[in-house]
Amino acid sequence: MGNDDDTELMDSGSFMRPYLLTGGRTRSDAGELAVEAMVAVSAGAPMPSQKELAQIYDLCQTPNSIAEISAKCSMPLGVARVLVADLWGDGTLEVLETTRSDDIAIVRRLLDGIRNR
Amino acid sequence: MASGTDNAPQARPVSAKVVVSGGFGVGKTTFVSAVSEIAPLRTEAKMTSAASEVDDGTLVASKTSTTVAMDFGKITVDQGLVLYVFGTPGQDRFGFMWNDITAGALGALILVDTRRLDECFNAIDFFEQRNVPFIIGLNQFDGAPHHDTEDIREALDLPKYVPIIRTDARSSDGALDTLVQLLSHILTTLAQNATPVAAAAPAPVAAPEPQRAAPVVTNDMRSAAMSALAAERGQ
Repeated sequence: MGNDDDTELMDSGSFMRPYLLTGGRTRSDAGELAVEAMVAVSAGAPMPSQKELAQIYDLCQTPNSIAEISAKCSMPLGVARVLVADLWGDGTLEVLETTRSDDIAIVRRLLDGIRNR
Repeated sequence: MASGTDNAPQARPVSAKVVVSGGFGVGKTTFVSAVSEIAPLRTEAKMTSAASEVDDGTLVASKTSTTVAMDFGKITVDQGLVLYVFGTPGQDRFGFMWNDITAGALGALILVDTRRLDECFNAIDFFEQRNVPFIIGLNQFDGAPHHDTEDIREALDLPKYVPIIRTDARSSDGALDTLVQLLSHILTTLAQNATPVAAAAPAPVAAPEPQRAAPVVTNDMRSAAMSALAAERGQ
Protein backbone atom coordinates (compact mmCIF):
# COMPACT_ATOMS: atom_id res chain seq x y z
CA MET A 1 0.00 0.00 0.00
CA GLY A 2 1.23 3.47 -0.77
CA ASN A 3 -0.06 4.83 2.49
CA ASP A 4 2.50 5.68 5.14
CA ASP A 5 -0.13 5.73 7.81
CA ASP A 6 0.69 2.33 9.20
CA THR A 7 4.34 1.61 9.53
CA GLU A 8 3.79 -1.83 10.85
CA LEU A 9 7.09 -3.45 10.32
CA MET A 10 10.32 -2.36 11.82
CA ASP A 11 13.39 -3.75 10.22
CA SER A 12 16.31 -2.48 12.17
CA GLY A 13 19.94 -3.30 12.61
CA SER A 14 20.32 -5.23 15.78
CA PHE A 15 18.62 -5.62 19.08
CA MET A 16 18.81 -7.62 22.23
CA ARG A 17 16.67 -10.67 22.55
CA PRO A 18 13.88 -9.01 24.51
CA TYR A 19 12.92 -11.90 26.71
CA LEU A 20 16.43 -12.10 28.17
CA LEU A 21 15.19 -9.38 30.49
CA THR A 22 12.49 -11.66 31.78
CA GLY A 23 14.59 -14.80 31.96
CA GLY A 24 12.72 -16.17 28.97
CA ARG A 25 9.36 -15.86 30.63
CA THR A 26 6.39 -14.56 28.71
CA ARG A 27 4.20 -14.51 31.80
CA SER A 28 4.77 -13.43 35.35
CA ASP A 29 3.77 -15.60 38.28
CA ALA A 30 1.98 -12.52 39.59
CA GLY A 31 -0.61 -12.73 36.80
CA GLU A 32 -1.70 -11.15 33.52
CA LEU A 33 -2.19 -7.42 33.26
CA ALA A 34 -4.20 -5.59 30.62
CA VAL A 35 -2.32 -3.28 28.24
CA GLU A 36 -4.29 -0.33 29.58
CA ALA A 37 -3.80 -1.25 33.25
CA MET A 38 -2.15 1.61 35.10
CA VAL A 39 0.44 1.03 37.77
CA ALA A 40 2.19 3.30 40.24
CA VAL A 41 5.00 2.90 42.75
CA SER A 42 3.76 1.81 46.18
CA ALA A 43 4.41 4.23 49.00
CA GLY A 44 7.85 3.67 50.47
CA ALA A 45 8.87 0.95 48.01
CA PRO A 46 12.65 0.90 47.41
CA MET A 47 14.07 1.34 43.92
CA PRO A 48 15.00 -1.98 42.29
CA SER A 49 18.64 -2.39 41.32
CA GLN A 50 18.24 -3.86 37.81
CA LYS A 51 18.41 -1.08 35.24
CA GLU A 52 15.18 -1.82 33.41
CA LEU A 53 13.24 -2.23 36.63
CA ALA A 54 14.64 1.03 37.97
CA GLN A 55 13.55 2.71 34.74
CA ILE A 56 9.99 1.49 35.31
CA TYR A 57 10.19 2.58 38.95
CA ASP A 58 11.21 6.10 37.93
CA LEU A 59 8.46 6.38 35.34
CA CYS A 60 5.79 5.07 37.68
CA GLN A 61 6.22 7.80 40.26
CA THR A 62 3.10 8.93 38.44
CA PRO A 63 0.59 6.35 37.16
CA ASN A 64 1.37 4.87 33.74
CA SER A 65 -0.23 2.07 31.77
CA ILE A 66 1.61 -1.06 30.66
CA ALA A 67 1.42 0.24 27.09
CA GLU A 68 2.95 3.58 28.08
CA ILE A 69 5.71 1.87 30.03
CA SER A 70 6.47 -0.26 26.98
CA ALA A 71 6.66 2.77 24.70
CA LYS A 72 8.49 5.12 27.05
CA CYS A 73 11.01 2.55 28.25
CA SER A 74 11.53 1.20 24.72
CA MET A 75 10.73 -2.37 25.62
CA PRO A 76 8.34 -4.72 23.85
CA LEU A 77 4.87 -4.89 25.27
CA GLY A 78 5.24 -8.50 26.36
CA VAL A 79 8.43 -7.74 28.24
CA ALA A 80 7.01 -4.65 29.93
CA ARG A 81 4.03 -6.70 31.02
CA VAL A 82 6.13 -9.41 32.64
CA LEU A 83 8.48 -6.96 34.39
CA VAL A 84 5.61 -4.84 35.67
CA ALA A 85 3.78 -7.92 36.92
CA ASP A 86 6.94 -8.98 38.76
CA LEU A 87 7.19 -5.55 40.39
CA TRP A 88 3.54 -5.82 41.31
CA GLY A 89 4.14 -9.28 42.74
CA ASP A 90 6.91 -8.07 45.05
CA GLY A 91 4.94 -5.03 46.16
CA THR A 92 7.02 -2.36 44.40
CA LEU A 93 4.11 -1.36 42.16
CA GLU A 94 0.40 -1.10 42.78
CA VAL A 95 -2.08 -1.85 40.02
CA LEU A 96 -4.84 0.71 39.66
CA GLU A 97 -8.35 -0.13 38.66
CA THR A 98 -9.38 -0.77 35.05
CA THR A 99 -13.00 -0.44 34.04
CA ARG A 100 -15.31 -3.32 33.31
CA SER A 101 -16.43 -3.21 29.69
CA ASP A 102 -20.07 -3.08 30.81
CA ASP A 103 -19.73 -0.21 33.27
CA ILE A 104 -22.48 2.18 32.19
CA ALA A 105 -21.51 4.88 34.69
CA ILE A 106 -17.97 5.02 33.32
CA VAL A 107 -19.15 5.21 29.71
CA ARG A 108 -21.48 8.05 30.64
CA ARG A 109 -18.64 9.86 32.37
CA LEU A 110 -16.37 9.38 29.33
CA LEU A 111 -19.11 10.64 27.05
CA ASP A 112 -19.76 13.75 29.11
CA GLY A 113 -16.08 14.47 29.55
CA ILE A 114 -15.18 14.15 25.87
CA ARG A 115 -18.30 15.91 24.63
CA ASN A 116 -17.41 18.93 26.75
CA ARG A 117 -13.89 19.28 25.41
CA MET B 1 -15.91 18.76 33.69
CA ALA B 2 -19.58 18.04 33.55
CA SER B 3 -19.60 15.18 35.98
CA GLY B 4 -17.68 12.50 37.69
CA THR B 5 -15.12 14.36 39.73
CA ASP B 6 -16.57 12.85 42.87
CA ASN B 7 -14.58 10.20 44.71
CA ALA B 8 -11.80 10.39 42.14
CA PRO B 9 -8.54 10.87 43.97
CA GLN B 10 -5.99 12.40 41.69
CA ALA B 11 -3.30 9.83 42.35
CA ARG B 12 -5.36 6.78 41.36
CA PRO B 13 -7.11 7.23 38.04
CA VAL B 14 -9.23 4.46 36.57
CA SER B 15 -8.41 3.50 32.99
CA ALA B 16 -10.70 2.45 30.17
CA LYS B 17 -10.02 1.50 26.58
CA VAL B 18 -11.51 1.73 23.12
CA VAL B 19 -10.06 0.27 19.94
CA VAL B 20 -9.61 1.73 16.47
CA SER B 21 -9.51 -0.91 13.79
CA GLY B 22 -9.80 -1.37 10.06
CA GLY B 23 -7.66 -2.29 7.11
CA PHE B 24 -4.10 -1.33 6.37
CA GLY B 25 -3.59 2.38 5.71
CA VAL B 26 -7.17 3.35 6.47
CA GLY B 27 -6.22 6.09 8.91
CA LYS B 28 -6.03 4.41 12.31
CA THR B 29 -2.79 6.09 13.30
CA THR B 30 -4.05 9.43 12.03
CA PHE B 31 -7.20 9.01 14.08
CA VAL B 32 -5.27 8.09 17.23
CA SER B 33 -3.10 11.20 16.73
CA ALA B 34 -6.13 13.41 16.26
CA VAL B 35 -7.81 12.42 19.52
CA SER B 36 -4.79 11.89 21.74
CA GLU B 37 -3.67 14.59 24.16
CA ILE B 38 -0.15 13.22 24.06
CA ALA B 39 1.94 12.43 21.01
CA PRO B 40 0.78 8.94 20.06
CA LEU B 41 2.98 6.30 21.52
CA ARG B 42 4.20 3.25 19.72
CA THR B 43 5.19 0.09 21.44
CA GLU B 44 7.86 -2.25 20.16
CA ALA B 45 9.24 0.35 17.82
CA LYS B 46 12.42 1.39 19.50
CA MET B 47 14.33 -1.82 19.70
CA THR B 48 17.21 -0.37 17.74
CA SER B 49 18.02 2.35 20.23
CA ALA B 50 17.70 -0.09 23.11
CA ALA B 51 20.15 -2.39 21.42
CA SER B 52 22.73 0.29 20.83
CA GLU B 53 23.32 0.47 24.55
CA VAL B 54 23.86 -3.23 24.90
CA ASP B 55 27.51 -3.96 25.36
CA ASP B 56 27.97 -5.61 28.69
CA GLY B 57 27.81 -9.17 27.45
CA THR B 58 24.81 -10.11 29.52
CA LEU B 59 22.53 -9.35 26.64
CA VAL B 60 23.17 -10.78 23.22
CA ALA B 61 22.75 -8.43 20.31
CA SER B 62 21.45 -10.13 17.24
CA LYS B 63 19.95 -9.44 13.87
CA THR B 64 16.39 -8.38 14.23
CA SER B 65 13.35 -10.09 12.88
CA THR B 66 10.29 -8.02 12.10
CA THR B 67 8.59 -6.37 15.01
CA VAL B 68 4.95 -5.41 15.26
CA ALA B 69 4.23 -1.83 16.14
CA MET B 70 1.07 -0.68 17.80
CA ASP B 71 -0.02 2.92 18.21
CA PHE B 72 -2.08 4.28 21.01
CA GLY B 73 -3.16 7.58 22.46
CA LYS B 74 -4.53 8.85 25.72
CA ILE B 75 -7.28 11.20 26.84
CA THR B 76 -7.46 12.32 30.46
CA VAL B 77 -11.18 12.73 30.85
CA ASP B 78 -11.01 13.99 34.40
CA GLN B 79 -8.60 13.63 37.28
CA GLY B 80 -9.85 10.17 38.03
CA LEU B 81 -10.50 8.76 34.57
CA VAL B 82 -8.22 8.04 31.62
CA LEU B 83 -9.28 6.71 28.23
CA TYR B 84 -6.76 4.88 26.06
CA VAL B 85 -7.33 4.60 22.34
CA PHE B 86 -5.55 1.63 20.81
CA GLY B 87 -5.03 1.04 17.12
CA THR B 88 -4.99 -2.58 15.98
CA PRO B 89 -2.06 -3.65 13.86
CA GLY B 90 -3.44 -3.24 10.37
CA GLN B 91 -2.38 -6.48 8.81
CA ASP B 92 -4.18 -9.73 9.20
CA ARG B 93 -1.13 -11.69 10.12
CA PHE B 94 -0.86 -9.71 13.32
CA GLY B 95 -4.31 -10.83 14.34
CA PHE B 96 -2.78 -12.58 17.31
CA MET B 97 -2.31 -9.17 18.91
CA TRP B 98 -5.94 -8.22 18.45
CA ASN B 99 -7.21 -10.34 21.34
CA ASP B 100 -4.72 -8.71 23.64
CA ILE B 101 -5.62 -5.21 22.53
CA THR B 102 -9.35 -5.86 22.51
CA ALA B 103 -9.74 -7.69 25.83
CA GLY B 104 -11.73 -5.45 28.14
CA ALA B 105 -12.36 -2.77 25.51
CA LEU B 106 -15.58 -0.81 25.83
CA GLY B 107 -16.06 -0.75 22.09
CA ALA B 108 -14.45 -0.25 18.71
CA LEU B 109 -14.39 2.13 15.80
CA ILE B 110 -13.87 0.37 12.48
CA LEU B 111 -12.49 2.79 9.94
CA VAL B 112 -13.42 2.11 6.34
CA ASP B 113 -12.00 3.38 3.09
CA THR B 114 -14.91 3.19 0.64
CA ARG B 115 -12.47 2.44 -2.18
CA ARG B 116 -11.35 -0.72 -0.37
CA LEU B 117 -14.42 -1.87 1.43
CA ASP B 118 -13.32 -5.49 1.69
CA GLU B 119 -10.41 -4.60 3.94
CA CYS B 120 -12.70 -4.06 6.91
CA PHE B 121 -14.40 -7.47 6.72
CA ASN B 122 -12.02 -9.12 9.14
CA ALA B 123 -12.44 -6.36 11.69
CA ILE B 124 -16.23 -6.55 11.47
CA ASP B 125 -16.16 -10.32 11.93
CA PHE B 126 -13.75 -10.01 14.83
CA PHE B 127 -15.84 -7.57 16.85
CA GLU B 128 -19.16 -9.19 15.95
CA GLN B 129 -17.95 -12.54 17.19
CA ARG B 130 -16.82 -11.08 20.48
CA ASN B 131 -19.94 -9.00 21.03
CA VAL B 132 -17.87 -5.84 21.23
CA PRO B 133 -20.05 -2.84 20.33
CA PHE B 134 -18.69 -1.06 17.27
CA ILE B 135 -19.47 1.70 14.82
CA ILE B 136 -18.30 2.13 11.24
CA GLY B 137 -16.44 5.32 10.40
CA LEU B 138 -16.21 6.11 6.71
CA ASN B 139 -12.94 7.96 6.50
CA GLN B 140 -13.12 10.75 3.96
CA PHE B 141 -10.41 10.26 1.41
CA ASP B 142 -9.96 12.79 -1.36
CA GLY B 143 -11.24 11.40 -4.62
CA ALA B 144 -13.05 8.46 -3.06
CA PRO B 145 -16.45 7.72 -4.58
CA HIS B 146 -19.37 8.91 -2.52
CA HIS B 147 -21.71 6.12 -1.51
CA ASP B 148 -24.92 6.38 0.35
CA THR B 149 -24.40 4.99 3.85
CA GLU B 150 -27.32 2.61 3.39
CA ASP B 151 -25.67 1.14 0.30
CA ILE B 152 -22.58 0.57 2.38
CA ARG B 153 -24.66 -0.97 5.14
CA GLU B 154 -26.02 -3.39 2.59
CA ALA B 155 -22.60 -4.16 1.15
CA LEU B 156 -21.23 -4.85 4.62
CA ASP B 157 -24.44 -6.63 5.61
CA LEU B 158 -24.64 -4.75 8.86
CA PRO B 159 -27.78 -4.61 10.98
CA LYS B 160 -29.52 -1.27 11.44
CA TYR B 161 -28.33 -0.82 14.99
CA VAL B 162 -24.71 -0.46 13.90
CA PRO B 163 -24.10 3.25 13.26
CA ILE B 164 -22.33 4.13 10.02
CA ILE B 165 -20.94 7.64 10.12
CA ARG B 166 -18.66 9.80 8.06
CA THR B 167 -15.50 10.91 9.76
CA ASP B 168 -12.34 12.80 9.01
CA ALA B 169 -9.53 11.16 10.91
CA ARG B 170 -7.26 14.11 10.14
CA SER B 171 -9.23 16.66 12.09
CA SER B 172 -9.16 16.70 15.85
CA ASP B 173 -12.76 17.94 16.11
CA GLY B 174 -13.98 15.40 13.60
CA ALA B 175 -12.17 12.56 15.32
CA LEU B 176 -13.38 13.57 18.80
CA ASP B 177 -16.91 13.79 17.45
CA THR B 178 -16.53 10.27 16.08
CA LEU B 179 -15.34 9.13 19.49
CA VAL B 180 -18.43 10.70 21.06
CA GLN B 181 -20.61 8.78 18.62
CA LEU B 182 -18.83 5.55 19.49
CA LEU B 183 -19.34 6.17 23.22
CA SER B 184 -23.02 6.99 22.61
CA HIS B 185 -23.45 3.72 20.78
CA ILE B 186 -21.69 1.80 23.57
CA LEU B 187 -23.96 3.47 26.11
CA THR B 188 -27.07 2.57 24.10
CA THR B 189 -25.90 -1.01 23.72
CA LEU B 190 -25.13 -1.37 27.43
CA ALA B 191 -28.43 0.18 28.42
CA GLN B 192 -30.31 -2.26 26.20
CA ASN B 193 -28.34 -5.22 27.48
CA ALA B 194 -29.01 -4.13 31.04
CA THR B 195 -32.72 -4.71 30.54
CA PRO B 196 -34.01 -8.10 31.82
CA VAL B 197 -34.22 -9.55 28.30
CA ALA B 198 -30.48 -9.60 28.00
CA ALA B 199 -29.81 -12.64 30.15
CA ALA B 200 -29.17 -15.14 27.37
CA ALA B 201 -27.20 -13.53 24.59
CA PRO B 202 -25.88 -9.99 24.89
CA ALA B 203 -26.91 -9.01 21.38
CA PRO B 204 -28.02 -5.42 20.98
CA VAL B 205 -31.75 -5.10 20.54
CA ALA B 206 -32.93 -2.61 17.99
CA ALA B 207 -33.89 -4.18 14.71
CA PRO B 208 -37.16 -6.07 14.36
CA GLU B 209 -35.49 -9.00 12.61
CA PRO B 210 -34.56 -12.09 14.66
CA GLN B 211 -31.63 -11.78 16.99
CA ARG B 212 -28.41 -13.11 15.64
CA ALA B 213 -27.03 -15.46 18.21
CA ALA B 214 -23.88 -15.79 16.15
CA PRO B 215 -22.72 -13.82 13.15
CA VAL B 216 -24.11 -15.52 10.09
CA VAL B 217 -22.50 -13.17 7.62
CA THR B 218 -19.39 -14.54 6.02
CA ASN B 219 -16.70 -12.74 4.12
CA ASP B 220 -17.87 -14.54 1.00
CA MET B 221 -21.29 -13.02 1.40
CA ARG B 222 -19.77 -9.61 1.96
CA SER B 223 -17.58 -10.00 -1.11
CA ALA B 224 -20.61 -10.83 -3.20
CA ALA B 225 -22.44 -7.80 -1.88
CA MET B 226 -19.46 -5.63 -2.55
CA SER B 227 -19.14 -6.88 -6.09
CA ALA B 228 -22.75 -5.94 -6.59
CA LEU B 229 -22.04 -2.48 -5.27
CA ALA B 230 -19.01 -2.13 -7.51
CA ALA B 231 -21.03 -3.25 -10.52
CA GLU B 232 -23.68 -0.71 -9.70
CA ARG B 233 -21.04 1.97 -9.39
CA GLY B 234 -19.56 1.00 -12.75
CA GLN B 235 -22.77 1.72 -14.61
